[in-house]
Amino acid sequence: MSSTRYVVNREDDPGIGHYSDPPLLVLASLAGGPKHGHAMIEDIRALCGTRLGPGTLYGAIARLEQQGWIEPLAPEERRRPYRITAEGAAFLRAKLTTLQQVSKAGLGRLEAQ
Amino acid sequence: MKPRLAHLLLQLYPRAWRERYGEEFEALLQAERGGMRNELGAVLNVAGAALKERFSPAPVVARGLGTVAGPTSVLALARMPSAFLPLAMSLTASAVLAGHLLLFGIAREADEGATAHIWQILMGGQIPILAVFAIKWLRREPKLAAKVLLLQVGAALISVTPVFLLNL
Repeated sequence: MSSTRYVVNREDDPGIGHYSDPPLLVLASLAGGPKHGHAMIEDIRALCGTRLGPGTLYGAIARLEQQGWIEPLAPEERRRPYRITAEGAAFLRAKLTTLQQVSKAGLGRLEAQ
Repeated sequence: MKPRLAHLLLQLYPRAWRERYGEEFEALLQAERGGMRNELGAVLNVAGAALKERFSPAPVVARGLGTVAGPTSVLALARMPSAFLPLAMSLTASAVLAGHLLLFGIAREADEGATAHIWQILMGGQIPILAVFAIKWLRREPKLAAKVLLLQVGAALISVTPVFLLNL
């Protein structure tokens, strides 16, 4: 699942290396509690430096909702918060475990050099 | 972002998507802050995402029902531009042909006239639209899309058959 996105570079970052899997970032953000769109964008930026564009964010939200991995809550004025479902949490856990294994192995190999 | 621009950008999305996410998405766009550069980035981002929704849409979940909102009948699907345009083009081509036959009879002309060119443009022009329809809808709604495709092919045959039978 990929989407159009734009990112904000950090000063010490040449513009590569941002983690940009929008659905996974949305799930990771919602793992910390229900949030509406703007709060998700800010949380994801704080999490990894990636700034999801509004179109990218809602592309991911639509697909995650269709998968049953997130669900909408009652709207707060015009904003609608979302929360992660049990299935979404299970998927996120499995995905992050795999990423952790890759990260551990990659860092281990770098240390060995 | 100015409410008017946010509203305009929302119109780029398919109707089903707008009905489901429109209000909250517009509120998010209006909350976008930053200079011209940020705003331009957001506009391009939304335009790209809307284009993706049009050509490779995520099935939209109806609010509170947990069901997929999409065309549920042949008639509903036939109202999509890529469905009715080929039908309209075939019917127009048939009408142009019928008008020509009524006015000039079935005599074959040595040189192709304006009628022939209009007919060819209408029939040839619908091929890419048909392809877009097939690619987009056969995956999502195979049965409904097959029925609409049958209608489209039928309308095209109605227009093509007299041309070949009468050797026009």
